[in-house]
Formats: sequence, structure tokens, C-alpha cells
Amino acid sequence: MPSNLGELEQLVLLVLLRLGEEGYGVPVRAMLAQRARRRVSLGTIYKTLVRLEAKGLVSTWMGEPTPERGGRRKKHYRVTPPGRRALTRSLNALRSLGRGLDPAWQVP
Amino acid sequence: MSRGRWLGRLLPPAEREFVLGDLEELHPGERRARPGYVLDLLRAALALRSARRAAPPLPTRGDPFVHTFLHDLRYGLRQIARSPSFALLSMLTLALGIGATTAIFSVVNPILFRALPYPDPDRIVRVAERDREGQDAGTGYATFVDVQKMATSFEAIAVSSQWQPTLQGSGDPERLDGQRVTQGFFSVLGVRPSLGRDFTAEENVRGRHRVTILSHGLWQRRFGADPSVLGRQVTFDGFAYTVVGVMPKSFESLLSPTAQLWAPLGYEVSLPWACRTCHHLGEYARLKPGISPAAAKRELDLISARLVAEYPTEYAAPGMLVVPLNTVVTRSVRPALLAALGAVGFVLLIACANVSSLLLGRAMQREAEFAIRGALGAGRRRVVRQLLTESVVLSLLGGAMGVGLAWWGVKGLVALAPAGLPRLNQIGIDGRVLGFTAALSVATGLLFGLVPALATARPDLFTALRPGGRHTGHRSRRLARGILVAGEVALSLMLLIGAGLLFRSLDRLLAVNPGFEPRGLLTMEVQTTGSRYADNPPVWSFFERALEAVKAVPGVETAGWTSQLPLGGNFDRYGVQIEGKLLANPEEAPSADRYAVSPDYLQAMRIPLKRGRTLGSKDGAAAPPVVLINETFARVGWAGEDPIGKRVQLGGADRPWRTVVGIVGDVHHTGLDEQQAPQIYIPEIQWIVADGAMVLAARTRGDPAALAPAVRAAIRSVDPSLPILHTATMDEVVSATAQSRRFAFVMFQVFAVVALLLAAAGIYGVLAGSVTERTREIGIRSALGASRGGLLTLVVRQGLLLTGAGLAAGTVGALALSRFLDRMLFGVGARDPATFAAVVLVLLAVALAACWVPAWRATRVSPLEALRAE
Repeated sequence: MPSNLGELEQLVLLVLLRLGEEGYGVPVRAMLAQRARRRVSLGTIYKTLVRLEAKGLVSTWMGEPTPERGGRRKKHYRVTPPGRRALTRSLNALRSLGRGLDPAWQVP
Repeated sequence: MSRGRWLGRLLPPAEREFVLGDLEELHPGERRARPGYVLDLLRAALALRSARRAAPPLPTRGDPFVHTFLHDLRYGLRQIARSPSFALLSMLTLALGIGATTAIFSVVNPILFRALPYPDPDRIVRVAERDREGQDAGTGYATFVDVQKMATSFEAIAVSSQWQPTLQGSGDPERLDGQRVTQGFFSVLGVRPSLGRDFTAEENVRGRHRVTILSHGLWQRRFGADPSVLGRQVTFDGFAYTVVGVMPKSFESLLSPTAQLWAPLGYEVSLPWACRTCHHLGEYARLKPGISPAAAKRELDLISARLVAEYPTEYAAPGMLVVPLNTVVTRSVRPALLAALGAVGFVLLIACANVSSLLLGRAMQREAEFAIRGALGAGRRRVVRQLLTESVVLSLLGGAMGVGLAWWGVKGLVALAPAGLPRLNQIGIDGRVLGFTAALSVATGLLFGLVPALATARPDLFTALRPGGRHTGHRSRRLARGILVAGEVALSLMLLIGAGLLFRSLDRLLAVNPGFEPRGLLTMEVQTTGSRYADNPPVWSFFERALEAVKAVPGVETAGWTSQLPLGGNFDRYGVQIEGKLLANPEEAPSADRYAVSPDYLQAMRIPLKRGRTLGSKDGAAAPPVVLINETFARVGWAGEDPIGKRVQLGGADRPWRTVVGIVGDVHHTGLDEQQAPQIYIPEIQWIVADGAMVLAARTRGDPAALAPAVRAAIRSVDPSLPILHTATMDEVVSATAQSRRFAFVMFQVFAVVALLLAAAGIYGVLAGSVTERTREIGIRSALGASRGGLLTLVVRQGLLLTGAGLAAGTVGALALSRFLDRMLFGVGARDPATFAAVVLVLLAVALAACWVPAWRATRVSPLEALRAE
């Protein structure tokens, strides 16, 4: 029985799909702030990523060191196939429950 | 080190790199110490740690307990590597404490704590008659025979006596140490020969008793470990003995540690030396299972009462003694060993206190680290556990170094061991000792780590992280350090007092006049042996001619023979009846040390003649029998009368009366610390039986040891076949009698010096730390016009306060504990005020010296720098 996703987990998975090869801590935080209007600390993002990794929904690899990072490497995240399936299931549930409700959240 | 890098260590190592990279990206160019950066870092660390904990599928290797332990272990080792000087200092301190304890334990363990190397050792007891003082008087053969017949408490019972046969035949004649025993002796010990057989009951019978069992060592050394030795004839003292057995290699002869062979005693009750009053045998028995020594004693007391009723003139006192063998074996060395064990325990405690204090000092530096750990959710127990793991790691490393020290120390201890220390060959560092050391190290680590760990585990986050806020909130920890250091001072004081008391005892003891002049005296024992010396005249003639030869050696002033050498470890005591004062029970007569001597002996020893005349060559075999007595005998035997011209009788009613012709000075015979006993000197030639073994005392010009070869050669020129034993200068003989005390003293001395150094280091450490912490305060005081003297006083006062508290506590402790040294003391009270005062002064001086450097540093604090520092 695959576990259900929390909201932040859904958002982070979506952000990772959008970021592609650039999926690591700082851009994830930035995109959440810009496009989802969610200001969260890096710590919270790490926490979510660790949880997703533990569930096998994302995989990681270490990138190249860059000068603006003080010569430190990045830890990249990519959504795994089980991650995609979990996300699809989650979004489908949202869509099916939301369908038919008008924008004022009234049953027609 | 920048705070950023330092804080980075809070992150789990696996995540550290990319998180720090992300933070760098997020806060470009900002000073890392800014709150935003720190906050993000703290949150990241917190989140990552809690996420890991919350995520159950995260793989942990093995058991979580082990996992945490390994983590703490790695962390502890890293901490040690990060401050090598601190670590080295602590480890050396611990190595001293643990090493010394290990060394002492390895000596004490086989003697005091390990069971004797026999099956069911608790059932082996020594049985003895009592003298009038209730002390162990040995056993007479006739009494033993009766006890053996009547007593039901024992599974086996036997008597033994010393035996010093000379092995003749192939190779040089060699005198061996052995025992003559009755059948059942080995059953008492619960051992049997590994080759051949035990003695049989028939071999107890006189005439059939010339059989022998060899020790494994003798069998290997003299007989090439040849199994066909069984049944072979060996010549001892001119008599042929048949070898019937060889003891196993593992057999330890505790009753006679030097014994290398055994033969049946071969007594019968009719023999003159098998009488009831001939108490020269040692009686040993194995209790039946379930019978206690006390129960056996009750039975023997009943038997004794019957014997005393039957033979009222043969016993000094009714009742018998039953003493567990273990007590017998360890009795003489127990006080010295327990004292050493106590002393080393103190050293270990001091080492613990010292490292505890060091750790407390360091904990102040690491406060911020623990504050953040706390902030990140590390529980108090978790932090305590981490700290304890660190201290155990430290002490295990210290313990490993300590084993090295101990290995080296044990050699020294064995060399110093008091005479009669049993089981010497069992002393060494073996698995048991290593196990003890490991356990000790862990316990030590927990002990000295606990106080700092508890004091550190919950610091105040805000105080700890606020710059410049480091000088508050340490009061309780500083108090803890102060108490530890005061404790060190107290323990050192107790050790120093112990050392002082023992030193004064030794000093007093060696200052005791032995009654003769030991300097310039050479001694050695010669034993006549073999069929040639079966009669008296050849023995007398040999000793006379040998003495002439010795006196002819250049450098020898004069020389004499004696049957017993004072302080030589043996004694020969006879009951003496005084004419006109005959006692109904001769056993109640005063007993005197008997010396059969050649005329020049007293001169050679420089034993002063007090009255009358000394012995001379005219006191020959046919002349009227004469004796000299010592002053104590004159006082005890003839209170208020003149003993000269009076007559005495030694060794029984059938012996001749001997006239007292002179009174000589008292000589310490059994020990310098013993009461003077009556003594009696007889011309050797006037005794009924020639003493076969005599000790030479040669007065020399110059170094007596240098003359030993020439003197030996002179004796050999008369008869090369006789063994010469125990060559020593009289100074060495005297010094050996103080060996047990010297052992205890050297222990205390070494430990007290170590303790003193550790305590000084402790005082220094606390004050130096305090001066560093108070730099600002001192700077301000100095800026406000405090004089250098005032600043010195400020620091020294703190040090002296600690020292004073320690001295007060230590004095109380020493007053309470020094009585345990009582048995080791001589000529000085356990609460000798002079020793106490001297030791307090020494400690004060050392404490002042330890205060001086930090105090001097305080006066050098520049107010400007102190204020600018933060």
C-alpha cells in the first residue's frame, strides 16, 4: 500500500519535475516562494526531501562543485517512477474531488 | 576558527557539504556569523536530524544501541585528536593511576584474592598447640599421634618438618630444601604425584622411610626429566633413598615455598625428639566436608583437655588452634599488601579527580557545542551518554598506557617484595589482571566523567552563545572543580602522612642498636654432612680447623661460629630451669634463645661483656660446663640477685647443670622491632651433640663482601665437599629484616609523590583556568589601580582556600585512617604530631608553588588588552 502524500510533499515533487536537472535545495525553495507563494526554510525542504527519499519517491545524486557555493557540491533530486505514480494518484484525487464544484465552492 | 565552520559540525556529516553549499548560495557574501545564516543552519541541522529519526525505513546499521555507541566512539576519538595536549595530559594522569593500581593488583591478586592452588582450599587448616600466650606453638609428634587417633573432624591429617638434605653423587654436592612429612600430607593438600606414587603408610615406619618424592623442577634440573628415575637410588647425607614419585609441574608448595623434595618423617613416639614438648612440627589437616574450622577446634579442645589431664607436666596451656591455611600463608604480608592496595586506591582517586577537573575546565570551552546540541533536540541523557563515552574512551587509552607502566612496575615490585611473600612466581600480568584493568578503566572513565557530564549536559543556550557572556553561570562548575581539587589535596595529604609515618618507623627501626656491630661483618653458613661427620669429634674438628683457616685470610680480624645468627630468620629456643627455682611443670620455665658458639664469636660480633668473664679456649669438652647469659635473662631469672656462679639446665632434667660465668648485652634475634628475650651462650664443644650447621661471623677490615671468595676458599681448603650457604654481609641480614616495612614505605613514597604532583597540577589547572576566565575582571581591577601585590593575593588566596579546605579534610581523614598502618609502624604513633605538621607544611609549600605561576600571570594582564579582548 503506497503511502499518501502530504501537501508539501506534493508541492516539492511538482517543483522537482519542473526544475529537471536543477532540482536541489536552493532552487526548490526559490520556486516554492515564487510560484506557490510558500515561504519555507531550507530546513523544512530538507526534511521533506529526506522523507520522500526514504519512501523511495525521489532519488539523489551529487553534482559538481561550484565557486558560488564555496567549492561545495550540490545534492540533486529527481522524481522516481514510483514518485510520479504517487503524484499522479494524488493529483487525480484532487481533480476528481474538485471537479464540478464551482469557483465559489458551491455544489451546482 | 570561524563560527560558520564550527557550527557546520552540527550538521550530520553526510549532509554537511551540500547544506553548507546551499547556505552559501542563499546568503552570498554575508558574514556567516549573521543571525539569518546561523538560524538557517540550525533549522537545517534540526530538520535533518529529526527527519532521520522520524523516518523509520532509513537504514541503521545493526542495533541502535551499538550504532549510537559507535557514533559516540568515533566522535570521542575525534575530540581527542582535536586537542592532543589535553588528551595526552589526561591519559598520562590516568595511566599513572591505572598503571599503579594494575601493578599492585597483580601482586596482591594471587596472594590475597585468589584461592590457594589446591582443591577445596577452604578445607585445609593448620592445627597447632598453644603456648601460654595462646599463640601458635607448633606440634609435638606424640600429641599429633594422639590427635590423629582421636579426632573425627578431618579427612586427612599430617605433620611436616623442614629437611635440608645434601644431595651427593653425580656432580657437586648440593644442599636442597625439602620437607619430611607423614603419610597423608599430600592428601591434606589434595594433590598427588604426576609420576609414580604417594608415600604409603608402611613408609611412615622408621627404617622403611628412606624413600623420596621429587619436585618437578628438581626432577628436570638434576635428573634430566627422565621417567626411569622411579626406583632409582639417590644419596642424601650419605644415606640411599629410593625415588618413588615426582610431583606435577603445577604443584605449588606453599607450606615450604623452597621445598624441592619430600621424604617420610620416620618418627616413632619413643624417639627423644618425638616427645610431647618437642614442638618443632607443623601440623596440617583437611576438614571433612561440612565441618567448619570452629567445629574442629571444639573437638580438638576436648582432646587437648584430656591430654593435659593425662600429662600435666607436658603442656604449657590447654586448647588448640585451627587456622585456615589461607590465613597462615598470607598472615605476614597481609598488612603491607593491604596498605599498598589502599595507597594505590588513593592515587587512582586523585587521578580521577584530576581528570574530572580537567574535563570540567574543558567543558566550559565546549559549552556552546552542547548548547546547540541541546537546541537541536539532543536530550540530556543523550548528551551525558556522549560525554561518558568520551571519558571512557580516554580512560581506556590511559589504561592501555597504564598496562605498559604496570608491566614495568611489577618487575620492580617483585624485586622489592618482602621476604616470605608467597606465590611470587604467580605474580605477573596475565589475562585476569588485564581483565581487571579493562574493568577498572571503564569504571574510572564513568567515575571521572560523571561530574563533568552532568554539569555540562544542560547549559543555558543564550548564555552560552552570547559573546562575552562566558563569564557567568559557571559558579556551580567552578565549585565542583574546587571540591575536586580540595579532595585531591586531602587524599595526597593522607598518603604523605602514611609515607611520613612509615619513613620515620623505618628510620627508627634501623637506628635500633641490634646489640652487636653489623658493619664489617661477613656471614655464611656451613653444613657438615655425610657419613664422615656422623660422630661429634670430626664435626668439632672441622669447625675448629676451618676457623683457623678463615682467621688466616688477610683482612679478617677475627671470626667465630654460632649455631644461630641473630636476625638470620631462624631460632633455637630452649626451656631453661634455674637451680633452686625448679618448676613443677618444666613447660612453664622461661625459654631462651640458645647459641652454641666458638669462643671468639662474641668478640667477632662485638657483643659487649657486661660482667664476669667471656668464653675461652679453656672451656673445653672436658671442662666444667659454663654459659653466658644476656642482661634480659639476668633480670627475668634472678631479679635482684647476682646470677654469676648460679647454675642452669637446658633441654630437660637429664641434662647437666651449667654455671653462669658472665653476662653479655642483649641481642635482637628475631627482629629489630621485637621485645628482648632471654638468651644463653654455650661453648659448642660442651653440648652433647655437635651442631652440624654453623654460621660463620667474620670481622673484617674494609668491605666484608669483597672478602667472601677468599673466606669461602679457606673453608673449602679444609673440606671441599661441604655446601656453603647464605653468604651475606651482616648489614644485608639486618636490612632484610626491615624488608616488609621498606616495601610498604617505598609504595607509599612513590604513591605520595605521584599524588603530590597530581594535586599540584590540579591546583595549578584550576587557578590557571580561573585567571583566564577572569582576565577581564583582573584587567579592570588593574585599570582601577589594584597593585600587583593585590592581584597576587587575589589568586593565591583562592589557591590557598582550596588547599586549606583539602588539608583540613585530609587531616581528619588521616587521623581516622592512620591506625590501619599501626602494625607497620615502629617507634612512632599513628597520630604522630611531628609527622602531621611536617607533611602539612610540605603540602602548603607545594600548593603555594602551584599557585605562583597563575598568580604571576594575573599580574601581567594588561588592562588595555583585557578590555579589548572581547
